[in-house]
Amino acid sequence: MTIPARFTEPADTTVEAPPKAKRKAAVRREVGRSIPRLESHAKVDGSAEYIYHLRLPGMLQGKICRSTVPHGRIVRIDASAALAIEGVHAVITGEDIRTLIPDPYYGPAFHDQPILAIGKVRYVGEPVAVVLAADLHVAEEAADQVVVEYEPLEPVFDEVAATKPGAPIIHDSLRPAGMFPDLQYLKGRSGTNVALDARVLHGDVEKGFAEADQVFENVFRSRKVVHATFEPTVSLAELNGSNGLTIHTSSQSPSYVRAEVSRLLGWPENRVRVRTAFLGGSFGAKLYIKLEALVAACALLVRKPVRIGLTMEEEFYTITKHGATVRIKTGMAKDGRIVAREVETWWNGGAYADIGPRVSQKSGFTAAGPYDIENVSLINYAVYTNDPPAGALRGFGISQIVWAYECQNDIIARSLGIDPLEFRRRNILHDGRPHATGTIMTNAEIDEVLDRLSDRMHWDVLFDHGSGPVRRGRGLAIGFKACIAPTTSVAVVNVYGDGSCCVSCSTVDMGQGSDTAMAQIAAETLGISTETVRVIHPDTDVTPYDMATLGSRSTYHMGNAVRLAAEDARAQLLRIAAATLQTDIEELEYRDGAVISRSGARMTMRGLMLARFGMQAGTVIGMGTFTPPYTKPDPRTGQSPQITPYWMLAGAAAEIEVDTETGRIRVTKLVNVGDVGCAINPAIAKRQLNGAGTMQLGFTLFEEMRFNEGQVINASLADYKIPGMLDVPEDLSAELVEFPHEHGPFGAKGVGETGMFSVSPAIANALCDAIGVRIMELPLTPERVLRAIRESENRPLESE
Amino acid sequence: MKNFELVEPSTIDEAVALLDPEDTGVRAIAGGTALMLMMKTRLFQPTRLVSLRRLNGALRTVRTDENGGLRIGALTTLTELEHSPLVAKAVPVMSRALRTLSNVRIRNVATIGGHLAHGDPHMDLPPILLTLGARVRAVSSRGERWIDVADLFLGYYQTAIARDELIAEVDVPLQPVNVHTWYAKFTALSADDWPTVGTAVWYRLESGVIAEARVAVSAATERPMRVPSAEAALTGSSPTVQMFAKAADAAADEVHPLADIRGSAAYKREMVRVHVRRALEHASRARSTEAE
Ligand SMILES: Cc1cc2nc3c(=O)[nH]c(=O)nc-3n(C[C@H](O)[C@H](O)[C@H](O)COP(=O)(O)OP(=O)(O)OC[C@H]3O[C@@H](n4cnc5c(N)ncnc54)[C@H](O)[C@@H]3O)c2cc1C
Repeated sequence: MTIPARFTEPADTTVEAPPKAKRKAAVRREVGRSIPRLESHAKVDGSAEYIYHLRLPGMLQGKICRSTVPHGRIVRIDASAALAIEGVHAVITGEDIRTLIPDPYYGPAFHDQPILAIGKVRYVGEPVAVVLAADLHVAEEAADQVVVEYEPLEPVFDEVAATKPGAPIIHDSLRPAGMFPDLQYLKGRSGTNVALDARVLHGDVEKGFAEADQVFENVFRSRKVVHATFEPTVSLAELNGSNGLTIHTSSQSPSYVRAEVSRLLGWPENRVRVRTAFLGGSFGAKLYIKLEALVAACALLVRKPVRIGLTMEEEFYTITKHGATVRIKTGMAKDGRIVAREVETWWNGGAYADIGPRVSQKSGFTAAGPYDIENVSLINYAVYTNDPPAGALRGFGISQIVWAYECQNDIIARSLGIDPLEFRRRNILHDGRPHATGTIMTNAEIDEVLDRLSDRMHWDVLFDHGSGPVRRGRGLAIGFKACIAPTTSVAVVNVYGDGSCCVSCSTVDMGQGSDTAMAQIAAETLGISTETVRVIHPDTDVTPYDMATLGSRSTYHMGNAVRLAAEDARAQLLRIAAATLQTDIEELEYRDGAVISRSGARMTMRGLMLARFGMQAGTVIGMGTFTPPYTKPDPRTGQSPQITPYWMLAGAAAEIEVDTETGRIRVTKLVNVGDVGCAINPAIAKRQLNGAGTMQLGFTLFEEMRFNEGQVINASLADYKIPGMLDVPEDLSAELVEFPHEHGPFGAKGVGETGMFSVSPAIANALCDAIGVRIMELPLTPERVLRAIRESENRPLESE
Repeated sequence: MKNFELVEPSTIDEAVALLDPEDTGVRAIAGGTALMLMMKTRLFQPTRLVSLRRLNGALRTVRTDENGGLRIGALTTLTELEHSPLVAKAVPVMSRALRTLSNVRIRNVATIGGHLAHGDPHMDLPPILLTLGARVRAVSSRGERWIDVADLFLGYYQTAIARDELIAEVDVPLQPVNVHTWYAKFTALSADDWPTVGTAVWYRLESGVIAEARVAVSAATERPMRVPSAEAALTGSSPTVQMFAKAADAAADEVHPLADIRGSAAYKREMVRVHVRRALEHASRARSTEAE
C-alpha cells in the first residue's frame, strides 16, 4: 500500500497567497475564534502530564555536584566519602563519561560544553560529578560529600573586559558545531573569548556621521536574568531494548535532542527516542541539550533508568539571559531624520556558548531598530565569561537591543524638541524599503502599531505630570524582530475511520497554547470542530521532525505544515469520493466528516473507508512540510536579500508613577501592541502579549541575578523576585494588529515574544518624562532611580 | 537532606517534652514556611521536627481577655488573623499590615508563633507588636513565663525563646484612648516581597500633645527595634509635619542598616527616614482609638 503524501521541497515552498482583501472576506469557523485551550481542564484537575512528575520503575535519581569556583583546574575528585554512604549506587565523573563517549562535548553553536567537567571548570555551579541513588535525599547528601580540589585560575566576568588583551582565556580552542545552517559560518578559533563577531554594513557610516548635524552616543546595559519556569528542567533516560535509549525530557527541541544525543553516542538517530509532555513554562530555558546527554550517559553506564530533576535553585546555574553592553552612536539631520547609526554590542554569553552566537547575530542585525537609515554599521561580539551560560530567553536578545535604541531615540527626540511619537513616525522603515541587511521590509505594519499606541494612550491629550513627591510620566517604544531562518517543520494529520483526527507534530506546548492553535488550523482545513481534534505530543518515534519550539516560529512554520498536512488528507478523501461518485474533484467539498457534492450526493466517512479499504475502517494520512526560503548573509557585510520569513513588529506604552522620595516606580498603565498577521486564537494571542509584557516588567523593574565572584547570591525565588499579581498594572491591555501575512497560515505570524520587546524602554522613557532622569542600565530598581534623582539634584546618596 | 524524625504530639506538654535543648537539630515546625526555606538551603538539617499541627484547639484561637486585651494562640494562621473581627477592632494597624504580608498562600499556612520565633528581622508584625506593647507566653517542661516582645529579639535570627520552649500565645494589651498608629511597609523588589524597611509608629495624644511615642524599625536593621531618639523627639510636642520630619531624621541617624540585595545601607537609611515620616503622617490622619 502506498500512502499518498505531499512533501513540499524547501526550494518551492511558497504557499499560495490570495490577495489581502479576499483573505479577510473568507468565512472561517475555527480560525479566529477564541476557543478555550484544549488542555484547560486537565491543567486544573491535575491530570495534565508533566515530565517532572514521571517516575520509572527501578529508577535512580541523580544529584549534581557543582563547581564552587568560577574558573579553575580540577586537581582531584575524591568520591570515596560519598560512595561510603548507604544507598549510593554510583558517582559519575567526566572521566567516566569519556569511557562511553570519547568526545563528550556538545552545543548547538560550538562543541564546547562537556557533559561533566573535564580537567577544568569555567563557572560556579558547573556540573562536576553526579551521585546516583534510588533515594533522592541520599543522593543529595552524598553530593555534598564529593570532594573536589581546584587550582584556581583568574576569572573574568565583565563582557567588555573579557574581550580586552590580557584577559584570561576561558576556552583554549573552539570547534563549531555545524548543525544549524544559519550558524555554519562560525569558525574554529583559539586564544580569544570572542566566539563570534557578526557585522552588518549598510551605506557608509563614517560619511553619515561626517554629514550629520548632530551626533549622539550612549552606552546602555542590561543585567543577567533568568527564565524562572515553574517546572524546573528535568530529564529521564531508560534503556530501550538491547540497543536503544528512551529520553523523557522537558524539552522545547525534541528533534534536536535526538540528533545531538545520537551524535554524541555515535548511534543512528533511530535508536534514540525522545519524548516530551506539557512543559511548565520554558521561555528558551529548555532548548538544545540541558540534562539529556547527562541522563543518557548515566543510564548507559549503570544500565538503569536515571532521572535528574533540577531544583529551582539549580536553574540559576543552568541557563540565563544574556547581560549586554550596547554602545550606540547616532547621527541626526536637522529635520529629525536619522542619517547614520553605529551599534556595537558585547553579549555576555557566560562559560559556554549554548545558542549565544545566534542570539548575538540574529538580534544584532536588528540593532539599528525598525528605522529607515541610510548608513548603518552593526557589530556584535558573542563573549565568553565565567558567568553561568546564557542562551535564549523569549526574544533571543531583542529586548537588550531595543532597550538601547529606543532609549536613545527618546534622548534624541527630547534633545531636538520633537515629540517622541512624531520622531518615530519620521524615521520608520516602511514596507518596500530595504532594511540594513538589504532585505526588503514586507508585511510589517509599523505605522499601524504606532497609530494604535497613540490611540490607546490618548497621546494627543495633554498629560498631567502630577505634583508633590509622586510624579507621573508616560513613554513609548517600538521594536522588531526577524523570525529565525532557515528552519523546517513537518506535520502529519491522521484521519481515522470515524472521521476524527489527530495531529502529530513535534511542537511542544509549554503554556503558549500551541496544541489549541494547531487543532484550530487542522479543524479549519478539514471543516470539523477544533474540540474534536487531538494533538499528539512530541515523541520522536511517532511525531515528525521539527526544528524546535522557539523564536515565535511554531504558528507560522508548524501552522503551515499542519495546514498542508490537513489539505493533503482532505485531498485524498476527495479523490476517493471523486473516484467513487465519478465526479470532478472540484465538485466536492469535505465538511463535518463527509464529502458533499454540488449535486447533493453525500459520502460519509464510513462510505469513504469502505471505498478505499473495502471495510469501514482505515486511516488517511496527510503530510505537510514547510521550509521558508532564506539566503545566508554575506559574512563580511551581513547583506542578504532574504534574511527572514517574517518580521514581528511590536510597540509598548506605559504610564507610570514614580515616588521621588523612594525611587519606586509603579506602572499604572501598560499597553502592548503586536503585529500578529492574523490571530488564530485572539484570546490566546492577547494573553501572550500581556504575559510577555508582565515578564518583561519584572526584568525592567527589579529582576537581576546578583553575583559575588561568580556565585549567584540570590539563587532562589525567595530572593530573586518575579512579578506577582500586585505588580501587574491596573490597566494592562494588549492590542492585536491584524493584516494577514501573505505566507502565514491563514495570514498568521508568531506572537510568543512580541510582547517582550518594547516594555523596558517604554518605562524608562516614561521615567524620564516624569522627572527628567535618564537611567541607562536595567533594572530600574528603586535604589538606582533614587540615586539618579539625587545625582541630578547634586546631593548624591553615599555609595555604601 | 538526611533522614529525620517527624513527630506530631497532640498536647503542648507532649510537644515541649519532645524538644531537646542539647540537640540543635530538634525544632518545632508550625506552618513550615520559614523552616522549609532553611532546610532547602541546608542552613538547617533536622534530626527531629516536632510538628505543632495537632495542637489546634486552644492554641489556634483569637479571643478577648478579661482586661480587654487580645489573646492570640500561637498556631493561629496569618490569614485567620487578617480576617479576625476582634483584631480588626482592637488593632486595625495589624489587620492592614497582614493584607500585604507576603501572599495568600503563605498567609494561609504561616502562624503567628512561627512568625515571632523565627527571629528573622524581615517580618512585618514584630515592629507593630513592639509598638503595641505585646508580650508572648513561652512554655517549657520547666514551666511558663511571659516575655515582652521588646525583649524577644536579641539579634539576627536570635530570640529569647530557649531551645526547649514553645510560644503558646501572644497577648496584645488593650490600647489606651487617643492612640494613633500606622505601619509603613516598603518593598524594593516585587510587591509581595519581604519588606526592605518596615516602620511602625504609635503615639498617644493628651490635649493635642504627644504624651507618649513609640517608633519601631525592622528589616533594614539586624533585628526589629524601638528607636528611642525618634520617640524622644516626638514626646511632648504637637503632631506636626515638621515634628514628624525631625523624628524621622533622628531615626535615620540612629539606625545601623545592613546592606543586602534589597539595598545598600545608605539607601535603607534614606528609606527609614522617608517611611518613619510617612508612617507618622498617616497615623495622624488615621482614626485614633476610642474609649469603650
Ligand atoms: C516566600 C515567603 C515570603 C514571605 N514574605 C513575608 C513578608 O512579606 N512579611 C513577613 O512578615 N513575613 C514574610 N514571610 C515569612 C512568614 O511570615 C514566616 O515564614 C512565617 O510567619 C513563619 O511561620 P511558620 O508558621 O511558617 O513558621 P515555621 O517555618 O514553622 O517556623 C519558623 C521557626 O519558628 C519556630 N517555631 C514555629 N512555631 C513555634 C512556636 N509556637 N514556638 C516556638 N518556636 C516556633 C520553628 O522551630 C522555626 O525555627 C514570608 C515567607 C515566605 C516563605
